[in-house]
Amino acid sequence: MCGIIGYTGADDGEQVCDVLLSGLSGLEYRGYDSAGLAVADRSIAIHKCEGEVTALEAALPDGSVDGAAGIGHTRWSTHGPPSDVNAHPHTDCTGRIAVVHNGIIENYRDLRDALSAAGHTFESETDTEVVPHLLEAALEGDLDDVVRRTTTVSSDDVATADVDVAGSTAVADGETTEADGDSADATTVREAAFRRTVACLEGSYAVAAVFAGDETVYAARHESPLVLGIGEDGHYLASDVPAFIEYTDSVIYLEDGEYARVTPDRVAVTDERGRVVDADIETIEWDAEDAGKSGYDHYMLKEIHEQPAAIRGCLRERVEELTGSIDLSELAALDRPARVQFVACGTSYHAALYGAQLLRDHGIAAQAFLASEYAADRVPVPDGTLVVGITQSGETADTMRALREAAGTGATTLAVTNVVGSSAAREADHVVYIRAGPEIGVAATKTFASQQVALAMVARVLAGSETQAAVESLRALPDGIQQVLDESLAREVAETYLDAEAYFFIGRGLDAPVSREGALKMKEITYKHAEGFAAGELKHGPLALVTEETPVFATITGDDDAVAKTLGNVREVRARNAPVIAVTDRPETVDSDAAHVLPVPSLGRELTPVLANVQLQLVSYWSANLLGRSIDKPRNLAKSVTVE
Amino acid sequence: MSPPSAVVLAAGEGTRLRPLTTHRPKPMLPGAMKPILEHVLDALVDAGLTDITLVVGYGRNRVQTHFGPRYRDVPLRYVTQETQLGTGHALLQVQSAVDGPCLVVYGDQLVDAESIDAVVTAHGESAEPATLAALDRENVAEYGGLIVEDGRVREIVERPRDDRHYLLNAGIYVLEPRVFDAVRVVDSGHGEQSLVDAIDRLIDEGAVRAVRTDGLWADATYPWDLLAITTALLNDGRVADGVAPSETGGIDSSDGPGSPTIHETAVLRQPVAVDPDCEIGPGAVVGPFVALGENVTVGANAVVERSVLDRDTRVGANTVVRDTVTGVGVEIGSGSTIPGGPGDVRVGEQVHVDAPLGALLADRVTDGGGVTYAPGTVVGAGAHLATGTTVDGTIEAATEVRS
Repeated sequence: MCGIIGYTGADDGEQVCDVLLSGLSGLEYRGYDSAGLAVADRSIAIHKCEGEVTALEAALPDGSVDGAAGIGHTRWSTHGPPSDVNAHPHTDCTGRIAVVHNGIIENYRDLRDALSAAGHTFESETDTEVVPHLLEAALEGDLDDVVRRTTTVSSDDVATADVDVAGSTAVADGETTEADGDSADATTVREAAFRRTVACLEGSYAVAAVFAGDETVYAARHESPLVLGIGEDGHYLASDVPAFIEYTDSVIYLEDGEYARVTPDRVAVTDERGRVVDADIETIEWDAEDAGKSGYDHYMLKEIHEQPAAIRGCLRERVEELTGSIDLSELAALDRPARVQFVACGTSYHAALYGAQLLRDHGIAAQAFLASEYAADRVPVPDGTLVVGITQSGETADTMRALREAAGTGATTLAVTNVVGSSAAREADHVVYIRAGPEIGVAATKTFASQQVALAMVARVLAGSETQAAVESLRALPDGIQQVLDESLAREVAETYLDAEAYFFIGRGLDAPVSREGALKMKEITYKHAEGFAAGELKHGPLALVTEETPVFATITGDDDAVAKTLGNVREVRARNAPVIAVTDRPETVDSDAAHVLPVPSLGRELTPVLANVQLQLVSYWSANLLGRSIDKPRNLAKSVTVE
Repeated sequence: MSPPSAVVLAAGEGTRLRPLTTHRPKPMLPGAMKPILEHVLDALVDAGLTDITLVVGYGRNRVQTHFGPRYRDVPLRYVTQETQLGTGHALLQVQSAVDGPCLVVYGDQLVDAESIDAVVTAHGESAEPATLAALDRENVAEYGGLIVEDGRVREIVERPRDDRHYLLNAGIYVLEPRVFDAVRVVDSGHGEQSLVDAIDRLIDEGAVRAVRTDGLWADATYPWDLLAITTALLNDGRVADGVAPSETGGIDSSDGPGSPTIHETAVLRQPVAVDPDCEIGPGAVVGPFVALGENVTVGANAVVERSVLDRDTRVGANTVVRDTVTGVGVEIGSGSTIPGGPGDVRVGEQVHVDAPLGALLADRVTDGGGVTYAPGTVVGAGAHLATGTTVDGTIEAATEVRS
């Protein structure tokens, strides 16, 4: 489940709906199988439906919604299939409390059973629905009774939530709840109920609630992102900044265990014990403008074309060719590590494989682990280990969990991420930003290239092997990518093999992670079967699948022994009559063995694979485009996976 | 009165600027450090226009990627002209996107905010269907000429050859929606519809007013025009976002973020414009009238004068580069010499004698060092010139020139 938004401060319900809807559009990259919103007035109006935010917008009745405060949600299913009923917000039995939630409540079955036994009726299959019912019980004074029926929550847990809320007194002075003459005392009671409810929850959550007759939005976070926006016409909260950047660029990042009470007049942040937190207000530098497609049919193609600029941004003020220096001030306090362990998922994992190999080239023992397997793998973390988490969003739940585990063993941690102020950036000991700018397409493209470039710099800095030649290659990379974009024949290749049953991608050394990434892109946006693996593995099994109907993309870059070996693998494939598409900086060497050649400029062993990847991105994009796929929002996928 | 919608015609290739336009449209060629189109957008935004539509076509990815969805906080709308069938046809593409009068400018002609403002204001005061800007200039014969009487345009003539007094058509128009009807009935030959021909029809109806303006105006028709445009911009002090280095150079990166890396022994002769990502080596002399785009590298002891070097161009050590225009990613090897113009340059079927051009090197031309370029040499995209060669005339794209 994925993006939430809250807003309070409008004069009328129309305006609240507008803010919530535009906020949800800004969060659609986090999930989009259903959407909904709730606006609190004397009663609560709820509108929700299956499908994208546009479907919700179409379903909203004109002018019938009134109220000052609202919450909204765009969902990505984890519990229960997408449907109108399972869409958020969820309500209690009375319909006077509405809740949106991002994350997973791990003990929801226990809570649900206890609530049902106490007489509460559930309408959906979601874990979230326990929250409004717990709130209802807490307000009715029945929560202790419910808790006694559970096995996962003790009354002591709940009692710790009974604190003297310092923030509430401060807020109460200026607060007016005109809707039904509600008193400030009522909001204090609601806040207490909210805290007692949150204390019952296990798992990860960013949760927000509104009550009938109250223009306050109550929120809390634990291991799911939540950020507050301080505006001129009211205040905002959301899973991510793009939801409200249109209205304000002043934000407060909520930390785990913190609570927020958002009213039209002010925002009060308190910690678990009710003490007011003096939170920093930060200014966001990204423009909302970055969220537009600017004439491209898809964000993915726009972002592929943004790669030269993204890499210029990643290199800016970090490299100097005259002196051959690479300056990552973020790593200044780090000594050369004895060993490095990368943890990452999906595309970031492919960047990790690339980064680990670069570090090994420089003599540092480095390995890449799938973050979701890191705990299960029981990886020993000896002294002197640097654990590097790579996550575009900085919120990937699996990667965060692995980083936290590593930190728990005493390892030094480094986050490589695109999002300033993200959980990874804040929790890791060190952070290197890849500076790719916002990426909206679910299929990662420019952020992968920027991760590769950032890791190429990190590897050289950690190993102390900065050279003028290395900096020269880095500075030549943006134009190398531009040249690929200018001259690529990927569209023709995509057309030629559009009817293929399956696609295989092979490469050796630094070309192997690129091949895996090429296959991942192909499968996620074309929905066709695609596999990528180290070229030498072909003959150990996958070759059985290779036929004349299965094109094989061979990435062959550099000038070492690996080229000859991969060419040997290409010939194995050719012997099965499979068409070979070579992506290479040495077209003259591979020409006779390939049906098609997608050439790239030669930028040396380390960086030429970055260029090869751009060709593969374009092949996937054009294949999906010609097949009419939903390229920016492939089925079943979400941009930022904040559940484990 | 609310400002009119602005339309920028930016779909054309610019065939006379080949081979610089191999991968990008003419409006994206550099005027000093940024695309000409960016200067045009600056003028529109400075004039207070807040509704801007770009008609894109040839090489549209370059335009869209460079500007994105907004420019200086003004939202940009992109409309694609799939086939380039004239400026009038381009304008028809936006008919559904605009409402009421629209201001039309060309994406490849430098104009200033004052002129735009003058045309908008004058149009607001008149009830005529079209208003345009007229400049008093010497070289009207190269461009569009206007015969104006009492503030009313009587004739519009492309490249006028007679000796009547013509004003220059500055290419800034405010047009009422009926211009769309005029465009639709125009036939400019070859299946094209020209905006100027449509305006000519409106002139016949006595419906076009002219406003005299006297601002910056420059057109990029030939490669050497890019040098002139850059000179005009540098003289005019309009090179925003650039650095203002001291007379003798000596800026180093310790000056803080956003300044280029310039060796302390390098010399910048003003006026020059240097992008913050550039690096300039020891003993190099850069300027006057030089613009270095993003990520340009100038090697030790190189001399660069009166040149526009586009992004990612690398100038090797001990080179001499004068009166030169480069595309992106060009590599001029160590010890190569471009002594400068004038030279004879072939553009299409025509040879321009004594054109003020040292050399034109299109995108990703590389030379192996020690190459000598005769004045007026034009090298096509991706060509490679071997070490020690001497080249002249026009060299086709992707050619390997061996010694």
